[in-house]
Amino acid sequence: MIPLSWYLAVAFILIGLGAYGMMVKRNLIRILIGAEIMGNGVSIALAAFALYSPVFTLTGQALIILMISVAAGHTALALVLMLAYNRRYGTVDLGRPISQEEKINV
Amino acid sequence: MQADRLFLQFIPVLVWAILVIVLIVIMLLASWVLRPHILQNSEKTSTYECGEEPIGSARMAFPYSYIIYTILFVIIDVMGAFLWLLSVSPFRLDPIVAWQTFIFVVIIMGGIGYAMKLLPATYLDGRETLVAYREAKARSLEKAHSPGREH
Amino acid sequence: MQGFESLFESVEFLLIAGIVIVLAYLALEHKEIVYAAFFFGIMASFVAGFFLLLEAPFVAGMQIAVYTGGISALIIFGVLLLPRAQDSTLEAIESPRAKKIGILVSGSIVFLSAILALTFPWSEAIPEGTIESSLDVALLAEWLWSDHGVYVQIIALIIVTSLVGVIALMKMDKAELMKDITGEFGIEAKPLPEEPESEEAPEAEEAAESEVSEEVDE
Repeated sequence: MIPLSWYLAVAFILIGLGAYGMMVKRNLIRILIGAEIMGNGVSIALAAFALYSPVFTLTGQALIILMISVAAGHTALALVLMLAYNRRYGTVDLGRPISQEEKINV
Repeated sequence: MQADRLFLQFIPVLVWAILVIVLIVIMLLASWVLRPHILQNSEKTSTYECGEEPIGSARMAFPYSYIIYTILFVIIDVMGAFLWLLSVSPFRLDPIVAWQTFIFVVIIMGGIGYAMKLLPATYLDGRETLVAYREAKARSLEKAHSPGREH
Repeated sequence: MQGFESLFESVEFLLIAGIVIVLAYLALEHKEIVYAAFFFGIMASFVAGFFLLLEAPFVAGMQIAVYTGGISALIIFGVLLLPRAQDSTLEAIESPRAKKIGILVSGSIVFLSAILALTFPWSEAIPEGTIESSLDVALLAEWLWSDHGVYVQIIALIIVTSLVGVIALMKMDKAELMKDITGEFGIEAKPLPEEPESEEAPEAEEAAESEVSEEVDE
């Protein structure tokens, strides 16, 4: 039997990679991929706890199912927001220079 | 209490996966050995278009509105997964569960129907663009020919 | 047999973990965003291998159906519809300082949580040998549909809400497009004798201009 900490180590590595991608990258789609990688890491941790603790088994697996369903909804919304951003500013670059007029309007 | 673990039932899948990988490597190596090694030229690496000169890059922009179909697919996908979970259970014909299933399907289908009803409002087709353009042009011409009438 | 089983499990775990971490790294660092999206899809399907190791067959199926089949297809479609996302200059990081800070913060997240997870006495908190193997999917269905049926309805409402948000955003998008066509810039650039008045809020522009001039004056 594999110890629980192995699964947790993989989950934490995935969460760290996703956090790195979300913090450093400028491409909006890359940031979304980072968020999804973080979500996958969290679901691995949940599944590990669901197996290793007897009272949490059904709850943990049902939580993963609900998480995956919500992830589908938020990804769709995020992609359409990206399309709106692209229409408005003509780029998907998050680190773009902000013009004077935009600063005033915000 | 170590009963049959689930992953032991997937050993045939693992064998199959290894077989697939080995087969693909063998096929790639064999075709690399057998094919004639000529230099790559622009004729060879260009995009294949039947009898046409390829123009521009293959990565062109499509209208944004097509993404709505993918989103509808994902929603149906999630609904199908939940119904799949229900379909393996023995209590699915229980009246309360049947009513719950009905409400679930009605909510999601209502959302999809709403989306399909509003689809023309999210989609800019050519005819509508032409009409809007003509109206705007007529307005501007009218303004240009009769200055001061509205003021 | 028992020894072979645990050895096989360890080997399988290490194999899947290595593949998943390498693919996640490639999905974040590969120069071509199209390949990155494909790597993400493959990574999502390998995560299903973890769920099979963890005795959750239905979750593995749902991961493949929704993540690999739905979400990664959605991301690939987004890349297809946004050709500007394929610009490789977006991958250049402006300052190495940002990258350093990012590595530092995410590394500290991993380090601190790993210390917490590895030093916590899991063997005392969770009694050994109580693992339920090969959970029946019908039990899960009963938990989700029969005992806690409200969750399913709430999920349906969340998904429909996101759909309504998508439709509203697309309508705004179309309105912006129509403004380009029927606004003052869309008509042929024909010199008109009089300046045509734009319907939408000329006061706002004037206010912005005056603010700019004020700032310049200051």
